[in-house]
Amino acid sequence: MDDSLHQLENELKALRPRRPSVLLRARLERELENDEVASKHVPSPIIHTAVTTSRPPGYTTAATLRSWKWLGWQMMAAAAVALLVSLGVWQWQARSDDSPSTGMSVAGNSAQPAPSAPPTSTLVARDTAAVVDAFRPVKAANVLYDLRDEGLVLLEDNTPARRVRARYVDTYTWKNPATNASLRWSVPRDEVRVLPASFH
Amino acid sequence: MEAARENPSWKSWFETYGPKLLLCARQWTRSLADAEDVVQEAFVRYWRHQRDLPGDPQALLITSVRRAALDLARRESRRAAREEKADGGLETREGIFDPLPGDGDERRLEIEAALHRLAPEQREVLVLKIWQELTFEQIGELLDISPNTAASRYRYALAALRKELKPLTYG
Repeated sequence: MDDSLHQLENELKALRPRRPSVLLRARLERELENDEVASKHVPSPIIHTAVTTSRPPGYTTAATLRSWKWLGWQMMAAAAVALLVSLGVWQWQARSDDSPSTGMSVAGNSAQPAPSAPPTSTLVARDTAAVVDAFRPVKAANVLYDLRDEGLVLLEDNTPARRVRARYVDTYTWKNPATNASLRWSVPRDEVRVLPASFH
Repeated sequence: MEAARENPSWKSWFETYGPKLLLCARQWTRSLADAEDVVQEAFVRYWRHQRDLPGDPQALLITSVRRAALDLARRESRRAAREEKADGGLETREGIFDPLPGDGDERRLEIEAALHRLAPEQREVLVLKIWQELTFEQIGELLDISPNTAASRYRYALAALRKELKPLTYG
């Protein structure tokens, strides 16, 4: 190479790639710190494997706060809270009726079934690192398996908009560290967003 | 990048190598936001599952970034085609390098624009060579081309850049 190419090469090397945004760092922190917390609080290797399962290859995380994907996270959080409350009620009813539980699958040690555990809502509030004989939520994940633009629609005020339908499977997992029993609940979810459309 | 194995903190590691990975990802994505998504996916996968694997972590990560970018491109190809029809094509103006002080920043913008106009196969080799500091053998392995091809593309890329930037410095 001649001198001018060397000169150009050196000029290029002097440029420093821009730093990733604070948002990316925050997203990484959320993902990787969760791993560390989970591995500290849940000593069972089986639970650790479940927590560190990688995301499906088709999944991407929203890059901007304006992205519609944030809505999915918010809805997932709301669904998780609702689920925990309903599970607490369900267990309370199961105990008061003194009847065996049905409807959800429990895998693992059948000698110590789930109804012996205290209500989940109580477990969430009692944040102890000790191994307790109770189910604890260890994982919540959603998989986007279909994203479809359903075309233009007209709103009530005749504003043109685009309707986008996202289809998810939400999966929640509980584990009992004392028995290694696990409980997993998957539910399909459709999310429809109507986005303002603009024409140029 | 051996620090990834020696240093247990992902933060300090990402502080050092994150910008290079992002620049790398930017060559294979349509926007900076997409590039950050791709870096996140590849980095989390690496840190969780591949950190202790033998071999060169840098090559592993770049391969992972490239694969994630190609997956993303496939997923979004239909949407991209629609958007290009709507807005006349992608013309991103997000900086890929840190700003330089004074008049240097004007030069930086010119270089970025010239890089943007390079053929993608030349640009990716240039980025891997200059900012990832890979050898032509490593680049060839990564891109599934011969080292000679990688070297040729690198020279063509530099020559094309020199031509673009000639009026200012290389006259």
